[in-house]
Amino acid sequence: MSDAPNDAGRLQADLAQLRAALRKIEAPALDEDAVRAKFRDAQRLRAPKIAAGRAGGSWRHPLAAAAAVVLAVGAAVTAVVWRGERAEPTAAAADAPSDAPFSVSAFQPLSSSPRLASSSYSVVRVRIPLSAFAAVPGTEQGGSIEADLLVGEDGLARAIRFNEADALAVSVADQ
Amino acid sequence: MSQFDRDQGEPNSGDPVDVRLLAEIAAGVEDAFVELYRRRQNDVYRFAFAMARSRSFAQDVTQEVFLNVLENASRFDSNKGSVRAWLFGCARYVTLDRLRLERRWTDDMPPEAATFDGDERLLADQRVERLHAAIARLPVEYREALVLAELQELTYAETAVVLDCPVGTVRSRLHRARALLAAMLDENDPAKADAGENLQPLQAREVCS
Repeated sequence: MSDAPNDAGRLQADLAQLRAALRKIEAPALDEDAVRAKFRDAQRLRAPKIAAGRAGGSWRHPLAAAAAVVLAVGAAVTAVVWRGERAEPTAAAADAPSDAPFSVSAFQPLSSSPRLASSSYSVVRVRIPLSAFAAVPGTEQGGSIEADLLVGEDGLARAIRFNEADALAVSVADQ
Repeated sequence: MSQFDRDQGEPNSGDPVDVRLLAEIAAGVEDAFVELYRRRQNDVYRFAFAMARSRSFAQDVTQEVFLNVLENASRFDSNKGSVRAWLFGCARYVTLDRLRLERRWTDDMPPEAATFDGDERLLADQRVERLHAAIARLPVEYREALVLAELQELTYAETAVVLDCPVGTVRSRLHRARALLAAMLDENDPAKADAGENLQPLQAREVCS
């Protein structure tokens, strides 16, 4: 490598020179469109994986799993409606989910959800058509109810809570 | 970073911006992915280039690492180290897989020297290039320790996290790597070699330059 033997000091000096040279090497310019396309592709691929994960667990039949989710949500709606019957009625909820905070019930676990612990959760606000809960009294007249889903980092819903105003509206319509 | 600093360093969560970006990626924020890619692609690229001395290899590794980020962003644990170290860990696995796949282990390494231009001319320095060639011929467990601790300037503790081994193992691998490098470079010293012998790295560079 040089005229002199490669002692430790010389090796360190050469390593420092190589380190400096590597620092100047740049990856090819970022193709932002390609990177964004990869991100979107990956996001699209995640949904089927989550569905497959459900089917691969204790819920091997998708229809059975879907039915169980509806039943679980229905049970939760029933509980909220039942509690709502004892409260003063308020104005009906808006049609679309809003970002504004609303008066909510407590989170109720979904019996269909896996019992695996998750280190972090997201809250996703959704609007569920009442026709999904046809077996629940007070839901035959149509409309929808606003709810927050507690979603684990695996994308599976663990618990649900409802907009109290929507629940009361359902209760009043039933009476 | 001095030898003392590297020796004393402990794993930390690193740049909070990286941590935030990774959390946003896990939540599905596209802009966060672009931003993290922009901030950290050079780290990954340089690591892979240092390991394999190939630009195309480094480019492939970089792309694969960031695809892994999309899949595994939610698994990052800031208690175990920085996002940068986590990315090096991903890059290490991808690099080793590809090296195995391409049979690039040590002696099978083709004499692919990069073409140098502009600021990279420093690499074309014969001594530096011979050192890089020698590093690429190290057994991979010594090579990755040397690249992370010496060339990417990770602390020993961070290197240990990336390599998933005790800090003492990092130290011993580095010690062994330096000893092997010194021996390899000494053997390849043109001043000691007969004319026309042991000049393979120089010839390879001349062909590519």
